[in-house]
Amino acid sequence: MPSLLIAGGRLLDPASGTDHPLDLAIAEGRIAAIGTPANPRLPHGPADRVIDAQGLLVTPGLIDPHVHLREPGHEHKETTASGAAAAARGGFTTVCCMPNTSPPLDTPELLRFIADRAASILASDLPACRVFPVAAATKGRKGDEPAEILLAAKAGAVAFSDDGDAIASAGVMNRVLTLVKQTGLAFMQHCQDPTMTRGGAMHAGEVALRLGLTGWPRAAEEIIAERDTRLALAVGARYHVQHISSAGTADILRRARATPQGQALITGEASPHHLTLTHHACESYNTNAKVNPPLREQVDVNALKEAVADGTITVLATDHAPHAADEKALPFEEAPMGMVGLETALPLYAEALVHAGAITWPRLIALLTINPARLCNLDALGLGRLAVGGPADITLIDPDLVWTVTPNELTSRSKNSPFLGRTLRGRAVATVVAGTVRHEHPR
Amino acid sequence: MGLPADTLRRLLRRARTMADAKPGPGGPERLLAGRIVANLFFEDSTRTRTSFSVAAKRLGAGVVDLMGFASSVSKGETLVDTALNVEALGVDAITVRARQAGVARAIADAVSCPVVNAGDGRHEHPTQGLLDAYALAQAAGRLDSFDLAGLTVAIVGDIASSRVARSAMAGMSTLGAAVVCVGPPGLAPSGLAALGCRVEHDLDAVLPHADAVMMLRMQFERHDDGKDAPRGEARPSGVIASVREFRAGYALTREREARMKPGAFVMHPGPMNRGLEIDGEVADGPRSIILEQVRAGVAVRMAVLAELLGV
Repeated sequence: MPSLLIAGGRLLDPASGTDHPLDLAIAEGRIAAIGTPANPRLPHGPADRVIDAQGLLVTPGLIDPHVHLREPGHEHKETTASGAAAAARGGFTTVCCMPNTSPPLDTPELLRFIADRAASILASDLPACRVFPVAAATKGRKGDEPAEILLAAKAGAVAFSDDGDAIASAGVMNRVLTLVKQTGLAFMQHCQDPTMTRGGAMHAGEVALRLGLTGWPRAAEEIIAERDTRLALAVGARYHVQHISSAGTADILRRARATPQGQALITGEASPHHLTLTHHACESYNTNAKVNPPLREQVDVNALKEAVADGTITVLATDHAPHAADEKALPFEEAPMGMVGLETALPLYAEALVHAGAITWPRLIALLTINPARLCNLDALGLGRLAVGGPADITLIDPDLVWTVTPNELTSRSKNSPFLGRTLRGRAVATVVAGTVRHEHPR
Repeated sequence: MGLPADTLRRLLRRARTMADAKPGPGGPERLLAGRIVANLFFEDSTRTRTSFSVAAKRLGAGVVDLMGFASSVSKGETLVDTALNVEALGVDAITVRARQAGVARAIADAVSCPVVNAGDGRHEHPTQGLLDAYALAQAAGRLDSFDLAGLTVAIVGDIASSRVARSAMAGMSTLGAAVVCVGPPGLAPSGLAALGCRVEHDLDAVLPHADAVMMLRMQFERHDDGKDAPRGEARPSGVIASVREFRAGYALTREREARMKPGAFVMHPGPMNRGLEIDGEVADGPRSIILEQVRAGVAVRMAVLAELLGV
């Protein structure tokens, strides 16, 4: 394996509080040395390759704890390989894939299938990243009875979720949390009361009323988050709110984290689209803006940014949800929910949070590295940080590179992005996974 | 959203010339000779389709009806594909009726011939909005100006499910009328106010001030997205507790009709549920302009087709 020196960049490692011009030497897939530009102490002689990182941020590889790679069952939308390639191009070195596949990832055997896929794509020389499965929490994702949670944890699950649906029954939820607690992993909830959202196609507000579409109200998210945070605190289980869309949910999370066990047990994530778009993106029946939970109003967008700024929301996640063009060509009411996000996420996070002045780059990088690593217990593998001897998962970011989103720019198998045509600032220009450059943007 | 007032008035004036035209040379009956209008109705609607057909034929156009797609379309061919096929057959204009909101627009974006939205889901039904404005202007003696200023129109009942309400609201308020939507909160949510109307929940308080009361059909099939019951099956939906509870608050009964403003009109876009939202005696009574609405529909659709086909 060729050795690598990343020289001249601004090295950001939130886990250690590092923010300095430092060079980084990589050998045998691990970080061999971190040093000042004058003295890059590379232990085994000169590097095979030097990457000039002048003007770039050098960060731990970005981690996305919430993506849909559609395998098995929906390979026409995405595969583990195509999704991992899109992730690498977006700057992600690790993604955690959700279990709402067909069949759902609710058995150890299916989790091992994902692990096999993940290993084979990393063995290729295509753009790729690490992939870890999130296991279904209930059998068949039906919300009726817990899946084999303890076996799933042994088979490589990094978290549990019935994402796409909430566990509607409080009784089942209580039992699931009790089991999940035993694994030391986190439960991730897609907060949506199904009885309040039947036929819901977009945010219940003015635009839905005007377009004649059934609304999906904030309260449907909030009441599940409220119920669950109480349950999780009572049980003592780790609980994570996925893709927060409502200002009220951010408040619920804030209150839950203010309790004695709250910081340790309760976390939440925000997604790029909820930080940047409102329900107006659905005007003209733009199905690429149809997403679950739906895009809401400016007050919600503002509240999510505040929640990131004040430390309530500690994780960012794309909810990358590919759908084929013919599926998104259906009438709005029938089109599937979701949008691709891996390749546009980083500049959108930067736009919403850093350029807007809510947080600094080091804090943004924490939300994309060490925090999601801890959420999914991947910090135990050394992921999410830059440490000598640790895995060489590294992302190089040009914070000022301006580019325009086009279908050709996206390597995901699906192109269902509401950001097509939008000009963005910031881009991952190189993605290093286990010491190998898996993506490099021509400079 | 809505067209500007001068465009609406141009169409309405043209509709008036259509309504007034006498048979014979110089009339409209050769205007669309040799043209073909396709009625692409993904959702059944005998009355609107027939109105468009009569309008097209009164202009001399040929008409083809395409309906009964329900099964084949759900199997995968997109509605837009179907419309492209229809256009490729060589038709000159397409009217589109669909169960889902936004379909007419998607088709209009895809084909190059003119497209008339003949109703899309709960979104809009523009020619219905036009004909409602026409019928009201006619009843109020305002066919010269098509200015509805000073008139208060109460739209009552199942507003949330109604494309007719949205189009009538847009059309009438653009022409100067004050529109009040009245219904229980589940059917007339307060958020509707953002669409440019007032929202009230007490019909009896509104009734004495309205110059026209437009009753809407209770669309049980659209409540709760119709997922539990076959479409069209009337059933308690959970949106209203019972027919009698709805009637107690919101039906236009004979007793309520008696408390309407003198000279005020009763309207209904049809089809009516007699005995539910409106009593038969009221629908047939002296205030009713319900059949004038139907007549105006043909004239309005003639004007729209002629305008879109540039004649």
